[in-house]
Amino acid sequence: MQNNLQHSNLKKFLSITIAATGLVLLIANLFGKDTASIISLTLYIPVTVSLVVVSIIISKRFGFKGDHGKAWILFLIFAILWFIAERISLYYNLTLGEELFPSEADAFWLAGYPFLFVFTIFYIKPMKGMITKKIIFVALAISIIVLTSTLYITYDQNIGTNLLEFSTAIAYPIADAIILVPAIIGMMLFLGGRVNFLWSLMCIAIIFETIADTGYLFAALDDTYYQGHAVDVLFIWYYVIFTFGVYHHITIFKDHRKDPYKNIEDLR
Amino acid sequence: MLDATGIEIKKALMTISLEEALLEIGRPVLDEVAYSLYVNYQCFIPDCLDHPEYLKQVLQELYGDGCSNIIKSIHKHLDGFASMQEIEEFLLAISPITIHSYQPR
Repeated sequence: MQNNLQHSNLKKFLSITIAATGLVLLIANLFGKDTASIISLTLYIPVTVSLVVVSIIISKRFGFKGDHGKAWILFLIFAILWFIAERISLYYNLTLGEELFPSEADAFWLAGYPFLFVFTIFYIKPMKGMITKKIIFVALAISIIVLTSTLYITYDQNIGTNLLEFSTAIAYPIADAIILVPAIIGMMLFLGGRVNFLWSLMCIAIIFETIADTGYLFAALDDTYYQGHAVDVLFIWYYVIFTFGVYHHITIFKDHRKDPYKNIEDLR
Repeated sequence: MLDATGIEIKKALMTISLEEALLEIGRPVLDEVAYSLYVNYQCFIPDCLDHPEYLKQVLQELYGDGCSNIIKSIHKHLDGFASMQEIEEFLLAISPITIHSYQPR
């Protein structure tokens, strides 16, 4: 009962946060690119910090032992790498007044993907016996549809552009499509369970990220991207959704030493 | 010194197997399962030998369909003792196929 209420409140708060961040960036764009840029850069700070904070809490709770302990450590590394990437991006925006592409930030963003991928593998590892060929097929099919759509849309953009720029930009949707496979497997595997909320959110966030990366690819290649562009709202939502997913996990795996029954050791 | 009865030994075996299976995932998972058993059913882990349906329900609520593999892991740990009647009944009761038809003693 209490869990359901907490879950419902969390969903409401997530919806409000998503609506508020979207609205703020939309209004900022009405005031011009400079305002949108300042607001966007400001929004990135709390969302990335929140993700690192919740990742530290959950990693600390699980420790190094067990498959999920290892998984959360890997997730923390991913969150830190993306946090560093965002700070590098902020630095370039503040010092140069524009975002370099590709830059050192891209190295950190791309380095984060393997850690996120291995996180998903370690998380679903204890349930690997339940992964059927059908689940793998569905996950692969969805991922391939997403990837081919992105590649098809961006194919024409390849002509006449810098190869390094293009290959860096195209690496993101490919990495997203790869991450999407275990995320869908996890979502199907934990169907009906409380941990499913994280996996559902993870799938939604990755789909947002894929759309954002494809949008960014277009904008970056034809030089129309600016900090605070419409695609930035999807990147911000990605952090927000992940943060809520991890926070929900913290509420599931609470530290029960402070809870009603006096001594957890009595239960063993 | 008190002598452990047969049923206490079986409860201990089941508890150790469950703890091992859950600790392979992570300590907070074991804590959450123990806590949910206590809060929802006023039951401790050793009591699950008599009420396997509680354990099954708690695992199902936490991991959904994915809990079947945790149950498989418990099976693996307890297989060597499956000749004992209570353990056999416990294993049958938590197995995904029999849970709905199982009636606790």
